[in-house]
Amino acid sequence: MKTALSTLALLFAAAVVAAAPPEHYLHVKVDGKNTKELVRVNVPLSLIEKIIPAINQNQFHNGRIEVGDFHTNDVDLRAILNAVSSAPDGEFVTVQKPDCNVRVAKENGQMIIHIINKEDGEKADVTVPLAVAQALASAANDHQFNVEAAIEALDRAGERTLVTITDNDETVRVWIDSQNTSD
Amino acid sequence: MLLLAKIGVGFMGTILVGGAIVSSEGFIHVKVNEKQTNGTHVSFIVPAMIMPLAVRFVPRHDLRDASANMQQYMPVIDAAISGLADCADGTLVEVIDSDSHVTVVKSGGSIVVDADDPGETVHVAVPLRATKATLDEIAAANGPS
Repeated sequence: MKTALSTLALLFAAAVVAAAPPEHYLHVKVDGKNTKELVRVNVPLSLIEKIIPAINQNQFHNGRIEVGDFHTNDVDLRAILNAVSSAPDGEFVTVQKPDCNVRVAKENGQMIIHIINKEDGEKADVTVPLAVAQALASAANDHQFNVEAAIEALDRAGERTLVTITDNDETVRVWIDSQNTSD
Repeated sequence: MLLLAKIGVGFMGTILVGGAIVSSEGFIHVKVNEKQTNGTHVSFIVPAMIMPLAVRFVPRHDLRDASANMQQYMPVIDAAISGLADCADGTLVEVIDSDSHVTVVKSGGSIVVDADDPGETVHVAVPLRATKATLDEIAAANGPS
């Protein structure tokens, strides 16, 4: 009887551990190629989720940020995001000029923006999960962004690289994973 | 003889219990080493429990400005300390440049800051719980005395 109970308790504990979502970390790494400077920031998303609602300063209140000068000119940002979200994957914008290339595409529920500036040798890749963009635009009015909801959506979106910027001087990378250290 | 033994046991017990209480909040460790010859070397470890207690002995009028300035940030500070306490140990920030290295690490309920530059090395470890208790004491200094 005791053995059976112990086994059940162990199984229950294992199930709880297995069911617990992994802690996600927001990582920022700035690597100066010429200056030999390196900055690494590793912040648990759960920490950001706790801090954001507590900020009530200036334009930031209750997890939302006021963007006073941001006007959508009667354009329904949420409707556009919903339309993009339900659209099939594909390349939405492709610009090819002698000095730069721009590509905007939708792939697997995320918007991918790829920019190459040929003159400066700069490359930028930005990946925005659509769920995060929709959460950001989910505030009550057009002059607010819901940062709290966006961070929660980012946490749910899981491991991925969000931003990579490379130029002649430095590399910047922003990503999410479940490691508490940078690579 | 038996009486002396009893007194000894009581004394040792008091020291042990007192030591356990004092160290229950962890320890603050500050270490500064100046690298030049004859540079200063400072290292002290004190029980973190004394930090909020020490604040109580600071005259309230001396803390009033700090307290008033802190009040608005207390919700954020509380959330940050509580969030840090709940998250796993690890390096939060690391800055390396050509001649210096700074890390901010969460380790076992403490925030540990290490800085190493050509002039000196600095190590500061502060338990989160004691930090919160101390900041609460400072924030409360602006209340009715």
